[in-house]
Amino acid sequence: MLNYTNVITEKKTYSGLQMDEIKPVMKLIIRGKKREFLSAIGKSLNLLLPTSANTSSKSEKLSALWLSPDEWMIYSNEISSPNNNHYETENLLNKNICKTNLGAVTDVTDQFVLINMRGDKIFDLLETGSPFNFNNFREKKGAVTQTILAKIDVIIHNQNQNEVNLFVRRSFSQHLFSWMNDSASRL
Amino acid sequence: MFLIDCPYCGEREQSEFKAGGEAHIVRPKQPTELSDDEWAEYLFMRKNIKGIQFERWIHIHGCRKWFNVARDTSNDVIKVVYKMGEKPPTI
Repeated sequence: MLNYTNVITEKKTYSGLQMDEIKPVMKLIIRGKKREFLSAIGKSLNLLLPTSANTSSKSEKLSALWLSPDEWMIYSNEISSPNNNHYETENLLNKNICKTNLGAVTDVTDQFVLINMRGDKIFDLLETGSPFNFNNFREKKGAVTQTILAKIDVIIHNQNQNEVNLFVRRSFSQHLFSWMNDSASRL
Repeated sequence: MFLIDCPYCGEREQSEFKAGGEAHIVRPKQPTELSDDEWAEYLFMRKNIKGIQFERWIHIHGCRKWFNVARDTSNDVIKVVYKMGEKPPTI
């Protein structure tokens, strides 16, 4: 994690909803199509990439989100060191995936901001600004979707009952977080 | 507003997508040998019919994949959704 001036500085609490940024969390985008790519990832990380749409998989240290038939996001479940931006997982994948021409690995740690939402009113908030139908999504633990929230591209990971991780691009994060606070105050 | 069944992600709202114009227009193999009229025909002229039209769409705010759609332009009813590279179905 580089030393950015963080735009989301405080934890916000409303009735039935808490929101704060979790940082620094390693985030990688990996892309590849071949069967060998999937098995190489599985062997390197001890984590099977989800192949069915809108799902995720989880190991002790990492979570993998399905984004597209040939694109996944991997992020660490625990926060990493704030003093450097070198990650073991990235080095391992660079060695086993990029150097063998199986696919691409991109570090998006500083590109995406991870907003963690907790409480029973998460989906009430999301429904106020998204065209996505959350009816089945909210019941499915591990479900993932890319959609629009207040006209901003987001990735939503239904991590647990009443716990959602929301990824947004850094340049949009301040605006989105202020919109979320505004919207949450009216729930 | 209408729903589009993305072949990769499932049913989503139209605002997540972007239209890419008429589908199945083949680029001429030797553009330098065409007359200006033929080139203009390829480049600009589109059918724009009232009825079933084959179109390209991209799920731009989702999986970012292109696919084809057969849409009735008079009432926005989508008849078929099929992947890129597949032949247009007969409707």
